[in-house]
Amino acid sequence: MIYRAFFLFTVLFTLAQAASAQDSWDDEQWDSDWGTEQDQSINVYGFVEAAIGGRFESSPYHKRLSIAEPRLQLGFDERWQDITWTAKADGWYDGFDKTWHGQIRELNAQFTVFDNTDIKVGRQVLTWGTGDYLFLNDLFPKDWQSFFVGRDQEYLKAPSDALRVTSYFDWINIDLVWTPEFDHDNYIRGERISYFNPLSGQLTGDDPSIQFVEPTRDEFALRLFRNIDGVEYALYGYDGFTKSPEAVTDNFQPTFGRLTVVGASVRMTLGPGLVNTEVANYNRHDAADHWRALIGYEQELWTRFTGGFQAYIEKGDTQTRTVLTTRLTWRDERDDLNLSLFAFVSPNQNDGYLRPTFDYRIDDHWSFSGGFNLFFRETPNTFFGQFTENNNAYLRMRYAF
Amino acid sequence: MKALFLTAVLAALLLISGQTISAEKSAREIVEQAELNAYYSGDDGRSAARMIITDNQGRQQMRQFTILRKDQQDGGVQDMMIFFSRPADVRDTVFRVVKQVNDDDDRWLYLPDLDLVKRISAGDKRTSFVGSHFFYEDVSGRNTELDNYELISESEDNYVLKGTPKHPDNVEFSYYEVVIDKEHMLPVESTFYNDNEEAYRKMEVLKVETVQGYPTVTHSRMSDLTNGGQTEMQFRFMKYNIGLPDSIFSERSLRNPPAEWLQLRD
Repeated sequence: MIYRAFFLFTVLFTLAQAASAQDSWDDEQWDSDWGTEQDQSINVYGFVEAAIGGRFESSPYHKRLSIAEPRLQLGFDERWQDITWTAKADGWYDGFDKTWHGQIRELNAQFTVFDNTDIKVGRQVLTWGTGDYLFLNDLFPKDWQSFFVGRDQEYLKAPSDALRVTSYFDWINIDLVWTPEFDHDNYIRGERISYFNPLSGQLTGDDPSIQFVEPTRDEFALRLFRNIDGVEYALYGYDGFTKSPEAVTDNFQPTFGRLTVVGASVRMTLGPGLVNTEVANYNRHDAADHWRALIGYEQELWTRFTGGFQAYIEKGDTQTRTVLTTRLTWRDERDDLNLSLFAFVSPNQNDGYLRPTFDYRIDDHWSFSGGFNLFFRETPNTFFGQFTENNNAYLRMRYAF
Repeated sequence: MKALFLTAVLAALLLISGQTISAEKSAREIVEQAELNAYYSGDDGRSAARMIITDNQGRQQMRQFTILRKDQQDGGVQDMMIFFSRPADVRDTVFRVVKQVNDDDDRWLYLPDLDLVKRISAGDKRTSFVGSHFFYEDVSGRNTELDNYELISESEDNYVLKGTPKHPDNVEFSYYEVVIDKEHMLPVESTFYNDNEEAYRKMEVLKVETVQGYPTVTHSRMSDLTNGGQTEMQFRFMKYNIGLPDSIFSERSLRNPPAEWLQLRD
């Protein structure tokens, strides 16, 4: 199976090299007419990647393999008639479920109307808010399965089919996102990563008898924002559903509860670093409301070594969850090697998640990445605690063109 | 007699210190003029840039980007945006800087794959600019207030100045020598020395062109004299006083680059 993945990678890599052979970016071109390639008619870019990863221990729910995939991403963008068209798609063979997969990550058109309004329509990736891996007001879909098995961080964000309208005024800017069909997260549901099922009161692997019920309604997200002398203020609103199935239907099937969120954030420099703070009120129509609040600080501690710290609280009537995070990043003199450690620790629920990673850039085409996903716990029913059977390590090799 | 002697000493001291002050002032004037010419030509500007980074084993990497710049004040606050087009892994990444004079710069990075506007805490300005041998400070200009200057020598063609950091603990060099070309009043060579007075880093200007009346460095090289390796940087499609509106320098341009201002033509 690994042999087959390797073979596919070789095929994809050969295709990628053929594509990049058209590239005129070489030594002889140094003094030639550069800068004009933006006028070329077709502009395709992308990468080929091979990833392999495994769990540390045999799990009663899954085999040792956590990720094994050759992947090809192709992107294309073109400006035509004052409209920027973007398309980006991935194809990969997943050695875990032994099937081919395809995903269109972007397929959109972006243009400006009335001078002050930008419109982006179609499939797109959407992000806002100030947290580092902590999302309060960003309720756009995320792919936690990719995040926890070691795919590139690009895949933490899942695409949305949406209409985004951003208008800029002297006194404030307005961002409105309408998603005609609800997009949930690619949440953990057992087939790849085991989790704690509160209904059965135990850890669960793949259980086809559990049917998730998806809402059919649309969702809206709104952001009002402004930067005054380097201080970034924002207000947020969301009307939709919880992004993972946290509610149950009358028939006890897991489903996505109605959710309205209102929040705010401020981000600014403070002394030698940056401070960010964000709050959000989660109004669950079928369950108790709760608050989320975050404060973070980041600064370069010494040359090329950056430290960040966040304190986060989720406070409801019955349950409170606190999380502290730290991110330490070091890069070498030429920026080729990046070492990072991200740690989540919940002092009141005694669980956590460590995410050490490395990225090594060999040249303009080749790079290596790797890391660990390490969960720890006291009890198996906490947020990170439920994943300890899935501790894994992974390695990725990429050829970009 | 004693009073007369004191007066003579005082006069001599005043004369000496007066000369020192005026020498320092003229060295400073030269440096400030060179800084204006190197980093503040016109009210704004656009340029395409390309770098070849060669490591000490001869392996090469490239970077290509377009820069938009607008001065809020000559020698003062400056808005800058850098739009990367090459290599593939940084394509469509945009870097935004508000260069401050007496404070840390504001910096943002837009990562298109995540649609993320990431704010970056002000870091050491003497670290690699996008993996090259140039530092951020070499690209955006080192604040002249941070150093003391003295004129070492002067020839028909150029001045040679020595810059010594006022706060040596904040930088990796103990001093540097800069050659300023009299014709264009541009720094054409800078050599950085470590605590052992050994040269370890050198910038050389390889080509200067006059664009719309502004002398402009269009080809330069930064060499690592200790470990080997160098970066060459070239500029093309330079244009000054294009009338960039302030609104270009914003979150909007990170997500939606202003195509009409980025069209490269001579």
